[in-house]
Amino acid sequence: MTSKFLFALVLVVAAPFVGGLITGIDRKITARLQSRFGPPILQPFYDVLKLLGKDRMVVNLWQALCPVVYLVSSALCVFLFGLQHDLLLIFFVLTVGSVFLVMGAMAAPSPYSQIGAQRELLQMLAYEPLLILVFVSFSMVTGSFKIADVYAYGKPLLPQLPLMFIVLGYVLTIKLRKSPFDISACHHAHQEIVRGVLTEYSGPGLALIEIAHWFDVVLVLGLCSLFWSTSWLGVAILLACTYFLELVIDNITARMTWRWMLKNALGVGLALSVLNIVWQSFNN
Amino acid sequence: MLENLVFLLVVLPVLSAIALLCIKSVGLGKLVVTLTGVILAACSLALFAGGDFQFRPQSVLGVDPDSLITFLDFALLAVIMGIAAKLKSPLLIALALLQILPLGYFEFSLVKHAAAGPTLVADNLSLIMVLIVSIVGSLICIYGLGYMKEHEEHLHLAKTRQPRFFFFLLLFLGAMNGLVLSNSLAWVYFFWEVTTICSFALIGHDRTEIAKANAVRALWMNMLGGVAFVLALIAVYKASGTVLLSDLLAHPGGGASLALLAALFLLCFAGFTKAAQLPFQSWLCGAMVAPTPVSALLHSSTMVKAGVYLILRLAPAYAGTSLSSLIALFGAFTFLTTAGLAVSQSNGKKILAYSTIGNLGVIIACAGINTQASISAGVMLLIFHAISKALLFLCVGAIEQRIGSRDIEDMRGLIAVMPRTATLTVIGILTMLLPPFGVLLTKWMTIESAMASPLLVLILALGSALSVVFWARWAGLILSAPMPASAPAAEAQDASIRVPIQILAYGAILAGLASPLIYSSLAEPFVSLFYKGAAYDVSGGSFVNGVGAFSIYPLFLLLGAGFFYALRLARRIPAQAASAPYLCGEQTADVTQNVFRGPLGPVAATSSNFYLEAIFGEEVLTRWINVIAMTMLAVMFGGIL
Amino acid sequence: MSLTDWINKGRLKSPWVVHFDCGSCNGCDIEVLACLTPLYDIERFGILNIGNPKHADVLVVTGTVNHRNKTVLKNIYDQMPGPKAVIAIGACGLSGGVFREAYNVVGGVDKVIPVDVYVPGCPAKPESIIDGVVKALEVVKAKLGLA
Repeated sequence: MTSKFLFALVLVVAAPFVGGLITGIDRKITARLQSRFGPPILQPFYDVLKLLGKDRMVVNLWQALCPVVYLVSSALCVFLFGLQHDLLLIFFVLTVGSVFLVMGAMAAPSPYSQIGAQRELLQMLAYEPLLILVFVSFSMVTGSFKIADVYAYGKPLLPQLPLMFIVLGYVLTIKLRKSPFDISACHHAHQEIVRGVLTEYSGPGLALIEIAHWFDVVLVLGLCSLFWSTSWLGVAILLACTYFLELVIDNITARMTWRWMLKNALGVGLALSVLNIVWQSFNN
Repeated sequence: MLENLVFLLVVLPVLSAIALLCIKSVGLGKLVVTLTGVILAACSLALFAGGDFQFRPQSVLGVDPDSLITFLDFALLAVIMGIAAKLKSPLLIALALLQILPLGYFEFSLVKHAAAGPTLVADNLSLIMVLIVSIVGSLICIYGLGYMKEHEEHLHLAKTRQPRFFFFLLLFLGAMNGLVLSNSLAWVYFFWEVTTICSFALIGHDRTEIAKANAVRALWMNMLGGVAFVLALIAVYKASGTVLLSDLLAHPGGGASLALLAALFLLCFAGFTKAAQLPFQSWLCGAMVAPTPVSALLHSSTMVKAGVYLILRLAPAYAGTSLSSLIALFGAFTFLTTAGLAVSQSNGKKILAYSTIGNLGVIIACAGINTQASISAGVMLLIFHAISKALLFLCVGAIEQRIGSRDIEDMRGLIAVMPRTATLTVIGILTMLLPPFGVLLTKWMTIESAMASPLLVLILALGSALSVVFWARWAGLILSAPMPASAPAAEAQDASIRVPIQILAYGAILAGLASPLIYSSLAEPFVSLFYKGAAYDVSGGSFVNGVGAFSIYPLFLLLGAGFFYALRLARRIPAQAASAPYLCGEQTADVTQNVFRGPLGPVAATSSNFYLEAIFGEEVLTRWINVIAMTMLAVMFGGIL
Repeated sequence: MSLTDWINKGRLKSPWVVHFDCGSCNGCDIEVLACLTPLYDIERFGILNIGNPKHADVLVVTGTVNHRNKTVLKNIYDQMPGPKAVIAIGACGLSGGVFREAYNVVGGVDKVIPVDVYVPGCPAKPESIIDGVVKALEVVKAKLGLA
């Protein structure tokens, strides 16, 4: 019990650094895929440090309050993940952060912020059912929603739940704000409705959102790692391949519309989930 | 002692109601209402402290209870027949006859002698309902005092109609208490019909054309349930020779005879109509034309809960049957579709109405899943939803009276106009939406207990995701006011409106914090009466079982600390940091205005929510979801045969 | 190193740009955007064309500024939280270029907002623009008292 607690603490402390590094490597590889050199790997840290030093500029106090709550809830999710807690609980704590991010954006009356917030809600609508279905598929194999039982299961889940991994890939793409699902705000500087849901956040608030995003990256990659929970090498290869595939997809697709996202992420994701869950129920 | 408590809970409100019709003085009327509320709340707590009980009252005010109820039953049906005749509605007349004739058959031909067992039984479920009715109900009645005064001024009524209003409210409270304490289905039926008539009277209170039409719709839909109830009475008696719930539940489970299953289906059908499940949701949405205390009391916290109360109460009887699985699917389907419909709504009360129907659907799904975990979830959701939804309705009522609109688009920036009410509304929304509060906790419990049926989980997951959309955007837009130059003026609000809202808000938060205690003292004792084994171990301040875990105290601590730290940080931001929203550089000099320099002059920048009417609009969805729901009901019935 | 030192390092290594065209013929704008392409790749220096003044550190202005968009320019400058720098690109941005005498032209960015770096040219070459950004970072360094 205490060892899990210590591990979870270490994870929470290390996660922003790991997440930032992953984001930096992301930008570097993306640049290379685009025949560029790209920024140094530590660039996300420079970005966050610079943002922390900016003067405060807010429309009202919610743009300052909500990023803190978003950060706390994302960090809490990683902590719960480290404790090998209940997956569904982690999912619901994740929604705390997302809801506060949306609330902060809606609290600013700029049209860009408002539309960005609506699109962010639709993104949540697209990935939340898929994430719950991934957890349900876990529970069908391991018998419970607890992460500890995934590790106790002793066998990798990917062979039994291949389609669920693809579904988790949809969730990862949306969470990472990558094309074609970067509909409310892109994680690059691509603009459509200026910066969408992030438009009115600035300075320290934006820095905290970026750090919370790193926690989210670590969390979703952690969820991906549960598909091959038996070996560190397997996890490393799986995550590396998955992330590289995400980068490739990001670079070869354009941003699509929310209608397309609902049809193709939620719709296709539901279909794949139903298929895999039905297969699994034949096995049970 | 017990008899006195029950008398005070059931009969006193009726007597107070009658007294109100005779009292001329406004002040004295207010006193009667307030006193009745306080007494009800106190008695409910005393009754709860006393624990489970059962007894058979020998006389009420000198009359034999069974005969009294039978007499009042027919009197009530005669009144309904009178209303039906006055309205010249063949449908109502037919439905009234369909109740009177079978009831006559039941009372005079079928039942050989009065039921031999206890007619008043209370276990934890009944006591929880009594607490909700008496405490939340009393708070709403007190709110109603302030609200109706303003309401009638607004309508420029020459002569006050508040005595009639509070007559029906108090009568309703007594009827609800009687309903949940009754063990005899015949008594439940009587109180059930009393609530129907109260609902009819209260929806039509303002006597506008639309109010009258909606009241009639509520009446005939609830009467459909009444017809089903009477037929169920006959079926139950024919199947088992008793109409006592305790006898029915003493033999739970699947080996039930055809007649008994049919009776259970009919009773659940009555529950569905009362709880405004699909395809009967239109009466609840139409009932929103009534004054807000009516919406809060009848149509979210209590009357509609009578429907799910009955379904929960009967759950052990149909456990393990295909009826149970179909009920679960039906409830979940209602949850999903009403969540979608709520996304398309901008009318605040309609959003709350659809959300209510959806949450009732979740409770019904819990009853259908029929395990100790799911029934615990259902019972707890009953409690948490009653508090949070009452809070939200009361807030929306106060907001409507202040800004003159119930459209959420008009509530943008409300936090600058009505700081306290807006904050409490946002708190109410967050208690419905986020962990670690109770409603989310029960949603978690429901999904985990449904894990054996992935289809159910899928529907619940989709519904849950949709509900985030319509709650989060409402909470956000209330907060969209510019940074105030100075501390905002204290909001002027009548104490009788302010205090119930504050009590309910603190209650919602405290209830969330106390959820392990609520589980172990309220839900678990009831569940363990009928189901083996405890659903959860709450000893560590978390809900833990073999399948999952939900930490309450740690989450409250960490998320609460994070939130308060964030609040402190945000409060210290100086006024110089205020900037206008980004409008491509075209904003005007005043940072508090969302105005940009258009080509011909200043233009107010406006935006609205995505309502997705093309996907979730009422016109788009209603017809086919009603068809699907009716098909499900038909399958439920056919599945019994 | 203290937190301020780290933050200063971040400021020098991550200048985000918002680019505003104040009536330019788009010649300079094309050259600015060319800097983002793989050929010049200014993201190497951490520069992102972030497009939102509330997120940006450097305001890159092209064009002569006219009486209609001078308010917009001022507003965008005001909506950038400090510390910030301004770069005026092209002959038009410096002084109004060949359009200086026109009736609707204000004639140069520095008539509306304080400019830190002037990048001449018509259009300015991407190499000059990159030089200009580097110079702007020197100016920022000086402002922060680090030079």
